[in-house]
Amino acid sequence: MTEPAERGIFGKDLLDRCISCGFCLPACPTYELTGDEASSPRGRITLMRALETGRLDEDDPTLAEESSFCLGCRSCETVCPAGVEYGTLLEQWRDHQWRGRRRPWIARLLMAVVSRTWLLRLQGLVRRHARTRKREDGPALMLGCVERGLYPRVSRAARALRPELTAPAAQGCCGALHAHNGDSAKGAELARELGERLPGRIVTTAGGCAAHLSTHLGRDRVKEVGEYLAEAGHRALGEVRAGDRRARVALQDSCHLRNGMGVTRQPRDLIRAVADYVELPGAGDCCGAAGTYAMLRPKDSRAVLDPKLDAIEQSGVDYVVAVNPGCLRQLQQGLRARRSTVRALHLVELLREAQNARE
Amino acid sequence: MTLPKQDTDALAAIVGAEHVRVEPGELAPYARDATPLFHAEPDAVVFPATTGEVAEVLKLATERGIPVTPRGAGTNLCAATVAERGGIVLVLTRLNRILEISREELLARVEPGVTTARLADAAGAEGLLYAPDPGSRTASTVGGNVATCAGGLRGLKYGVTRNYVLGLTAVLPTGEVVRTGGRLWKDVAGYDLTRLLTGSEGTLAVITEVTVALLPTPAGSGTGVAYFGSLADACRAVTAVISAGLVPATLEFLDQKCVAAVEEFAALGLRTDAGALLLFGDDGTDDVVAGNLARMAEVCTSAGALEVTLAEDVARSEALLAARRCSLPALSRLNSLTILEDATVPRPKLAEMVDRIDAIAARHELMIATFGHAGDGNLHPTCVLDPDDAGAVDRAHKAFAEIFAAAVELGGTITGEHGVGAAKLPYLADRIGPEQVALLRRIKSAFDPAHILNPGKLGS
Repeated sequence: MTEPAERGIFGKDLLDRCISCGFCLPACPTYELTGDEASSPRGRITLMRALETGRLDEDDPTLAEESSFCLGCRSCETVCPAGVEYGTLLEQWRDHQWRGRRRPWIARLLMAVVSRTWLLRLQGLVRRHARTRKREDGPALMLGCVERGLYPRVSRAARALRPELTAPAAQGCCGALHAHNGDSAKGAELARELGERLPGRIVTTAGGCAAHLSTHLGRDRVKEVGEYLAEAGHRALGEVRAGDRRARVALQDSCHLRNGMGVTRQPRDLIRAVADYVELPGAGDCCGAAGTYAMLRPKDSRAVLDPKLDAIEQSGVDYVVAVNPGCLRQLQQGLRARRSTVRALHLVELLREAQNARE
Repeated sequence: MTLPKQDTDALAAIVGAEHVRVEPGELAPYARDATPLFHAEPDAVVFPATTGEVAEVLKLATERGIPVTPRGAGTNLCAATVAERGGIVLVLTRLNRILEISREELLARVEPGVTTARLADAAGAEGLLYAPDPGSRTASTVGGNVATCAGGLRGLKYGVTRNYVLGLTAVLPTGEVVRTGGRLWKDVAGYDLTRLLTGSEGTLAVITEVTVALLPTPAGSGTGVAYFGSLADACRAVTAVISAGLVPATLEFLDQKCVAAVEEFAALGLRTDAGALLLFGDDGTDDVVAGNLARMAEVCTSAGALEVTLAEDVARSEALLAARRCSLPALSRLNSLTILEDATVPRPKLAEMVDRIDAIAARHELMIATFGHAGDGNLHPTCVLDPDDAGAVDRAHKAFAEIFAAAVELGGTITGEHGVGAAKLPYLADRIGPEQVALLRRIKSAFDPAHILNPGKLGS
């Protein structure tokens, strides 16, 4: 059989990097759920190859299903000795897969909202996110599109911890949401625009934004807030208490921060400084939030989250800390549904609490 | 060939419709395993959950003459799980329970879809060691390890998978369920079918339960690294270590190209300027480990090592072993088509074998990197090349044919631990002779009269 002409959907060298060794299988949360090769990184790359060479029809339902079933957590990249850039392949796959097709209405709505700077500004004003009027010398605090609506207290806490952070209201969205939902061109454009509005170093409180921005603006310009605090030498803080003892606190890594940027040590060190740190058995495994995934595929998202909630409850912690708004929302909703006594907080909220305890 | 609707309906009636896949996109991911250059799509992928379901599926397949290829995680490197003749790929990942771990009897009973690392971890939690340690252990399944008789990094002291399989539950293609062996070290009742099925690569029966022997976990372990000017020098050091009466748990070598690739992934601070690296390790009480490592370091030094260092702690040892396990995929950083082979020679012939591999590579203008289980005489010459260069692929095939011929000539074999699969089948007759090939075929017919199980592999 002669191979049809390649379609040029994927960077050629990117697909060739995978030698199908299968080392990625145990790292993949969806393969863990199904045991089906098709929902593993290796199987998905085989599907991408079949799409690229025309062995599979573009409208094949498995292609559509698997490109959407993948959480995009990139934990496969950390265990891949061959260095396959799976995250990039997934973005290219989704770009092609969803072109000319209607995305789910939730994704369309969110993408439309966050690409309008004035709407984000208005939302931030109403919700009272951190604001500084004129640009000062400090690095810029990125306010995040989701965070402004859901967690404005995160940006307020970040500024309270490090007053040198400036927070101009007109900064827009980084575009990670678009890149993960099959529009990487718009994702790249928004990242570049944000880079122009916030020249110099950018500090973000969202792991997903940090990874996306650093891809487009360079790793040097972008700091996740935990990384920044660790580097800037955070001021002496008090301790977070639970009743009459030091609080026990666990961390849930943000996938893109851990797998995309390799930041794992700093948030743990910061928690240790203010509370008793407890390492969860699967702290580095995806919580199922995965950007818009929890909204688009709630059932699969819950299946990934449930074992994590079990682990959190068994660990006997008072707080579980997240470093990304999506993860924070996922954990809060999951814990609330279980009527758990464990509270989920953003890293800077926890540190802010320790700061309050001292003041 | 597409399966008729009545067959897929019958399969769905056995395992449930959601566990039978027949759509093109569902089949595509099962067209290959970890072996390069082999690609064949099945007509159906079936996920049974019990021995009973496996039996029903096989009975149906025998009646209808449908080929069946059993599959675990598909990490093998000999195309053992590529459905060469189409038909059904029977995926055993839903049979994934650890049924029992017994400290009293030092054994574990597991279903075939349990990963090797999960079995090892569960045994470890009870203070027990599952000794076989294949490089792909985090992904590979116990069923697949048994089917291919997988080896690994602890082979020198502890042997390969077959040394630990006490008993099997297996389903014959006709649907009968047999229990071979059992829970005993000593048991000589009848032909040793447990050994026959171990390494039979899914051509005789489908394994649905495995009983393996465990050992008490050694009190301590340690690892060291010796650098040499050339791979041949490292090979001579291996002979010196063994001649000194030392049997380390691990004795692995990597040539300079492998070290450089592994270092790029794992960033362990390995020296990338030396010609070869020898990784040695042992386990036992702390005194024994310290004593043995010190003696190995001495022997390596007098055999001409450029530098010898011992790992300072367990974490460093683990990191070194983990890095060694990923040599193959790390090598693919050099170029995207990576063909790994698995030749084995008697230990005293190692140096001669690596010289021959070098000469063969040079003659065919190929880049062949070599790493492997030096202590077992088990080499993995790995050809790294550009897949678009058809001429190079052709030359690689010729080179490997010469490498296998050289291994057999030196008293070795064409596969030390990977199995034969479809990839090594053309070389099997050279290794075992026509009489044995004929015997394999008669055995195959006795188990599988309709020749439905993994056709295109051993005995077919």
